[in-house]
Amino acid sequence: MTLEYAYYPGCAAKQIQIEADLATRAICEKLNVVLHDMPKASCCGAGNLQEHDLAAGLAVNARIFSQAEEMGKDILTICNTCLQTFTMANKRFKEEPELLAKVNIVLEKAGVRPYQGTIEIKHLIWVLVDDLGIDKVKKQIKAPLNGLRVAPFYGCHGIRPQEIFDGKGGEHPLYLDKILKTLGAEVVDYSGKDKCCGFHYMLPNESEFLSMSGGHSLAAKEKGADIMVSPCTLCDMALGAYQKKAEKKLGKRINLPEMNIAQLIGASFGFSADELGFYKLHQDPLPQFDKYKVEIAE
Amino acid sequence: MIELKKQVTFNIHRMGEDKKPYLETFQLECTEATTVLQALETIKADLDGSLTFRRSCRASICGSCGMFINNRSRLACRTKVKDMVDLNSDEELILEISPQKNQPVIKDLVVDITPFYEKIEKNNPFIQEGSEKVEQVDKTSYEQVNMVSNCIMCGSCYSDCTALAENKNYLGPAALAKMFRFVADPREGQKKKRLKELSKKNGIWDCTRCGLCIDACPKGVAPMEAIVKLRTRAIESGITNNKGAKHAMVFKNDLAKGGLLNEFWMILKTFGLFGAIKQLPNAVHLAKKGKIPPIFSEKVEGFEEIDAIFKQLKENPINVETKKEDDGPGAG
Repeated sequence: MTLEYAYYPGCAAKQIQIEADLATRAICEKLNVVLHDMPKASCCGAGNLQEHDLAAGLAVNARIFSQAEEMGKDILTICNTCLQTFTMANKRFKEEPELLAKVNIVLEKAGVRPYQGTIEIKHLIWVLVDDLGIDKVKKQIKAPLNGLRVAPFYGCHGIRPQEIFDGKGGEHPLYLDKILKTLGAEVVDYSGKDKCCGFHYMLPNESEFLSMSGGHSLAAKEKGADIMVSPCTLCDMALGAYQKKAEKKLGKRINLPEMNIAQLIGASFGFSADELGFYKLHQDPLPQFDKYKVEIAE
Repeated sequence: MIELKKQVTFNIHRMGEDKKPYLETFQLECTEATTVLQALETIKADLDGSLTFRRSCRASICGSCGMFINNRSRLACRTKVKDMVDLNSDEELILEISPQKNQPVIKDLVVDITPFYEKIEKNNPFIQEGSEKVEQVDKTSYEQVNMVSNCIMCGSCYSDCTALAENKNYLGPAALAKMFRFVADPREGQKKKRLKELSKKNGIWDCTRCGLCIDACPKGVAPMEAIVKLRTRAIESGITNNKGAKHAMVFKNDLAKGGLLNEFWMILKTFGLFGAIKQLPNAVHLAKKGKIPPIFSEKVEGFEEIDAIFKQLKENPINVETKKEDDGPGAG
């Protein structure tokens, strides 16, 4: 059976972190996981709309869920914050029928199909492990990572609060570890693995943000990591794009290439550096692949 | 049934009066019923009387025995050894115990809780007289304060807070949850004054929203949820002249205008023109890799639906706030 999802990449993957979107589409096509675009889907609110106007946040989320429901598909996302925002709203809609009824009245008056509460919100990494099965991922590997030392950075909004993620998050997150081992990487354990990248307080607290994100990269580097991966486009931005700024703030060289997990999976599937958007990364990962004789197509 | 008994290694991060940290290892037989606190008490009684830790009630009410056990802050009395290590495993079973984080260590597992308490005390943890005071209080008003009233001041959230790790002056989850308890209490007379104070540096907008405080809390207080509610109430009260509130407000504005977030204008709206100019080096740095958001916002397909949703909610606001019923004494 072909797996099909309503694909919600999130605003970051559509604007700044497009490399994550490129890589996700490439690997899903290879795995025969069909991603259906959601052209009518708005921004999820990222928790920010929700703390400003929770009713608007819930209504806007219900509108998006209703679109997926109409398509008959669960939502697949590659942004942890979209995942958490949606999961919080969806859990409430399923557990509080009177809340869903209230929100649906707003939707109906606005000419939007009401949401019935039937869809699930899933992350790409959950889909690869739980829905598809890791063996199918394994079958597509053309360039095993040969023990490349990879530090997984899970990102808060994919694992906490643990009560909303039904055992998929929490203290001992496993999804990235499982995928990385399958790709032939050696998983690096370090203190920052399940901590915060600081993205959500970057603008009001830049100095603290830089020492936070840089600190995690440094901790991973000190444990011998060659590359860091995250399943979240916002963590990618915080840990990758801002790493040079963090180096300045900490007064230390880090130079740890960071990329989205979909890009690393794509590399092992034999996609080229260009197809995976490596040119968008602030630290060149190619020398790290070279070290382990992992050939990346030009 | 034969009781399962296993040798467990306790790696304890200690510190003496010379303030030099050291690691000490103890071996102890544990059963499925052994709590971490019982194990520590046995170590103190039988193996090393100098091992120092706080404890009192043994029933997760007093909040004394908070410590860092296997990578998270937990109450030693509430944590069973079997939940930390797999007693059925044949490998060496190791439990790692260190003092709570983000606080100065006095000795072994005892930390100085003065800063933790000071941050609560300096914010007047008492109902204040004032014009916003409501005389009649009905039962539903507890729905907002029930969760935060369960706090036992154990410091677990304070210890695991990622924002505090970078900024020692941040008030932290427990103090902010406590402040929500007052802001949400109808009898409080100075709600807006409190929100103004809490909107300053080191307050509600310094939370990373990482959620570790929710997971660390042994009583279900969910401090981050309280912080988010304080943010909502601050914006609703018109206390928006700060970067945190301005940033949060960009999202509603962008959604109401086109349904999509525009990352270009977000900087301008959060920082204002002069602040945005200071952000230019960041923008140039990102632009090197083509990470430039589009200047002109597009409208999402079917935007008229979103527009209609916002208009509906403006005309007929709905109350969607989360509530918590009273679980009774000792809840959580």
